Amino acid sequence: MNPLGSLEHLATGFAIATTFQNLFYCTMGAVIGTLVGVLPGLGPIAGIALLIPVTFGLDSTSAIIMLAGIYYGAMYGGSTTSILINVPGETASVMTCRDGYQMARKGRAGPALAIAALGSFVAGTLGIFGLVFLAPPLADVALAFGPPEFFSLMVFGFVVLSNVTGGSLVKALMMAMVGLILGTIGLDPVTGNHRFTFGTVSLLGGIEFVAVAIGLFGIAEVLSNVEQPADAQTVRVPPLRQLYPSLDDLRRSFGAILRGAGIGFGVGLVPGPAPVIATYASYMVERQIAKRPEEFGEGAIQGVAGPESANNAACQSAFIPLFVLGIPFAPPTAILLGALLIHGVNPGPTLLVEHPNLFWGVIASMYIGNFVLLLLNLPFVPLFANILRIPKRVLLPLVMVCCLTGMYSVNNFMLDIWAMLAFGALGYVMRKWAYEGTALLLALVLGPKLEVAFRQSLMISHGDFGIFVDRPVSLAFLLATGVFLSLPLLRLGKAARERRRVHA
Amino acid sequence: MAAAAALLAFGVLTALLSLQLPLGTLRAPDSGFFPLALGLMLTALAAGHLGQLRRAARAAPADAEPPGASGAAGDRAAMLRVVQFMGAVVAATALLQPLGYAPVAFLSMGALLEILGMRPRWLSALIALATAGMCQVVFVHWLRIPLPAGWLWS
Repeated sequence: MNPLGSLEHLATGFAIATTFQNLFYCTMGAVIGTLVGVLPGLGPIAGIALLIPVTFGLDSTSAIIMLAGIYYGAMYGGSTTSILINVPGETASVMTCRDGYQMARKGRAGPALAIAALGSFVAGTLGIFGLVFLAPPLADVALAFGPPEFFSLMVFGFVVLSNVTGGSLVKALMMAMVGLILGTIGLDPVTGNHRFTFGTVSLLGGIEFVAVAIGLFGIAEVLSNVEQPADAQTVRVPPLRQLYPSLDDLRRSFGAILRGAGIGFGVGLVPGPAPVIATYASYMVERQIAKRPEEFGEGAIQGVAGPESANNAACQSAFIPLFVLGIPFAPPTAILLGALLIHGVNPGPTLLVEHPNLFWGVIASMYIGNFVLLLLNLPFVPLFANILRIPKRVLLPLVMVCCLTGMYSVNNFMLDIWAMLAFGALGYVMRKWAYEGTALLLALVLGPKLEVAFRQSLMISHGDFGIFVDRPVSLAFLLATGVFLSLPLLRLGKAARERRRVHA
Repeated sequence: MAAAAALLAFGVLTALLSLQLPLGTLRAPDSGFFPLALGLMLTALAAGHLGQLRRAARAAPADAEPPGASGAAGDRAAMLRVVQFMGAVVAATALLQPLGYAPVAFLSMGALLEILGMRPRWLSALIALATAGMCQVVFVHWLRIPLPAGWLWS
């Protein structure tokens, strides 16, 4: 598809995104996302998981427009708490705390919040441009992928996501195995045989993805917060007239915003928690090239502009592998993949052909959503900051009641609620023992696709496993997987050598 | 170590149950092939991890403080709160069909606020009542979700 063709499709996307219904859901997603980002302890993963049941009555385009809005809205909202109270609303805002909070302590919370919002808007918009022009050619390349390439790509995605989400690689791989096993419950996707259903009709469709997502992320998050139901925060919110940055602030932030956007967009294309890595990389780059690096950590505005721009650009480019390859490279997009499948949309290279309205409508809605977020995050910052005054001891029961109601509304099955509670308890225990829930959920969603690709590959090759290494693209993914698997072993070996050297 | 043992057992169980399904051949793998491979891989990973943990436990000094030993009283109180919270949610789920959605939303909200130490109690009751009312309006009347009406009242 040529660039002009992309622009034509984008115009169609705007026609879809600007219908009253889609504008409403785009704004709703942006507002809810900002709230999710503002509230510490409730990240975009839990936010999207909790809201999936609400989208069941919507058509697939409106549903994904709203859920995508929650994801990138959370990136905007996360900066508010980082700057005002030194508590990151979500993990991608950790770097913003360093200089944002210092600026707030010096009475410059207003410019920090404004630059964070402006940087997020510019980077988000540039990220969407990249998405428009990069996704179609990448989809053309991915159309040439056969089952072996997809199998190797999925294995690569699992291993890399397991490797970079933090913690033990072995634990993450075991969780991926559990997710894949749970994904085999129900009808065999190739032959239609019943597997592990034990005669239960409601298990024929497999384990309900929403129950697992809300349980592992929503309920487990609530239970973790129940341990320490802290009182409401004392927040000093700057008045509206103090929000405007000076010309010097804008001049110093301009380059940082553009660099942050570039770094974020690039990192978002790589598997892993892209917004977190992008903010860290952007902060390090800004400090390296700063004329006065000693200002970093003491309230340098570039330390807010760069990371905030990076996390939004990364968030936008994370949609490319999801839409084009059908493989989520970041945890929140794994939940979005589940939502797409629930709505009968199978993302991948054929998405642009089979569901062009959804693809271009969602992209166009991101432009609108970014604009809505800019409008929300400048004048309404005091309003959002006031949310922090709601005590957790009120918020947690409210979220729990919404989880129960939302889960029941999916299929009107009590069994789904019990499954959600069981996965909630499991998720809580997993957090205690540092096991990774994202790997399990990603494997549960991708498991059936992985199995089909694996079995089709063996059928094509008449049982010859060489098919996975004979094809260059598949071999490249497997080699990359091998490199990622060997990294922790190399680190262990280096640590052992270091210990021996110290003892000697 | 308990988690690794549980995963080991889950892997073994999966492998055994997979053997009851048709396995097919390498040329045409059947329903049991993929879960069997996964069960075996999980078993291998969990066994390796368990062995690693046992070696680490043996290597640790005998007088080392067990994890979580410090601040144990605070941990116990926090754990008790989590158990009570989850217990209230389980009870609410069990009562959902006999009592119906609105009374259960009110009772569960009140119980959860009490467990988290919300004071004064009249405010808890007011919040619970408002939540139940709001949920009823939004989910039942606005979104038209057929939430249980309660067979005790019919």
